[in-house]
Formats: sequence, structure tokens, C-alpha cells
Amino acid sequence: MLDTEALMRIGLGHYIALSGIIFSFGMIAVMMRKNVIVMLMGVELMLNAVNLSFVAFAKEAGNLNGHIMVFFVMTIAAAEAGVGLALAVAIYKKFHEVNIRFFEQLKG
Amino acid sequence: MMMEAIAFYMLAGFLIFFSYKVISVPNPLHSALYLVLTMLGLASAFFNLGAQFIAGVQVIVYAGAVMVLFVMVLMLFDLKTEIRSFSRGLISGALKVMSAALIAGLALGGARSSVTVLDAPAGAAVPGDVTRQLGILLYTKYLFAFEILGILLLAVAVGVVAVSRMKGGTHARH
Repeated sequence: MLDTEALMRIGLGHYIALSGIIFSFGMIAVMMRKNVIVMLMGVELMLNAVNLSFVAFAKEAGNLNGHIMVFFVMTIAAAEAGVGLALAVAIYKKFHEVNIRFFEQLKG
Repeated sequence: MMMEAIAFYMLAGFLIFFSYKVISVPNPLHSALYLVLTMLGLASAFFNLGAQFIAGVQVIVYAGAVMVLFVMVLMLFDLKTEIRSFSRGLISGALKVMSAALIAGLALGGARSSVTVLDAPAGAAVPGDVTRQLGILLYTKYLFAFEILGILLLAVAVGVVAVSRMKGGTHARH
């Protein structure tokens, strides 16, 4: 039995639910896609979902520590995208494709 | 109250639809463009939650810089639509979807048991003042972490240049 009043009053729970759904989509992308770059996009999607829950909790708590954490997560995500794409370029130079099945042949 | 709910559900439908398209379209370039739309939707969600500075940074850093980097690398590879872009195996695929659904279900259950309404507490920052307070907090309480982050970014920049200049890719002989 769904409570219409609870559905209409937008609260922390709604944002956490949205964040969980987007996170699971990112997780499916990382596990099921074969292209390394699309897998990196899945990681970005997961990090963004976590950012959404951080901001929602920051509003709930009434202080800005969650915003600082989102700021740090964004910086780390930009660095991670750079490193991941550099590795993809290095793989592409050898195999002329960016498919995850080539990663089992890496040497050193 | 009613308008707020309608706006939230429209935004949620937008975000869920585009993040589903990110993982389901076979062409990686289309995935990247749908991911840009998802990032912009998340920026408006941040704006709704009273995080104006974070929303701006989301648009500039993610929808701007990071996604341009992704699209540029995809253009460099000249990838066509892939024939088999998903991993094979029906049972393992079903297990993967079920594990992701388990994570989503845990989050939904947690959300359902914590139905509180986002009322601004008495000591909360007034809307126009969030960016100022964020800056003050970043340069006082979190100054050390901020400096460490700068060093990390320097190391990553040097490492990325070193990795992408390796001769012969990953199988280089020394």
C-alpha cells in the first residue's frame, strides 16, 4: 500500500532512491559492457550517484561538509578519467581496439 | 509542495531514462552524449538541493572537461558501432543484473525507512551564502586535504603523460 502523502512530500528518501538507481545502472555498465571507455563512463555514473546522495545528506544535516566531499570526489574523478583514458590509449596502440578481453594479455 | 513533487519526478524520470540509455546504446559516442545529458540533469538536482556552487562545478568539470576528454578519445579511436558490445553468457549476465538490482533494492529499502522531509534547520546557510561559506571551509578546516589534492593532481598529470608516451603501448620492451 503506497502512501500518497509520503510520495508527494519530497524528502531525503527520494533523493537516496534516485541515487541508488543511478548507481546500479553504473554498476551494470561496468560489469556488462566490453568497451573500456563505456566501463569508465559507468564509473563516472556511479561517482555522480554518490555525489547526489552526499548533497542530499548535506542538506539534511544542515552543514556544508558534504559539499566539500563532493568537491574532492569530483577532483578525484577527473584524475581517474585522465588515467583511465591514458591506459585505454596505451592498449589501443598495441591492439587497435579497446575491448576488455585484451586486458588478459597484458605483460608488465 | 505539489509543484515540487512534479518537478522532482520529471527530473528523476529524465535521469533514469538517460542513464539507462548510457548503458544500453551500442555506439560508445552516443553513450558519451547521453552521459552529458545525465550530468546536466544531476546538476539541476544539485541546484534543487541548494548546492549552487556544486551545480556549477558539475556543469563545468563533468559536462565540460571530463566529457570532452571522453569524446576526444573516442574520436581518436574512430570506433564504429560494436557488433557485440555486451559480455556474453546469459546466466552470468543475469547474475550481474541481479547483483546490481540488489544494490538498488538496498538503497530503496534504506530510503523507504528514512522518509524525512528536507526542512532547512535553523542554523542552515541562506541560499546566496553557500559559496562563500564553502570557500571559507575549504581554506580553513580542509586546507591540508586541499593541498594534498593539488599534489595528487600534479602526480596524475605527470603519470598520464608518461603512460601515453610509452612506445609500443603496453607490450613495450625495455
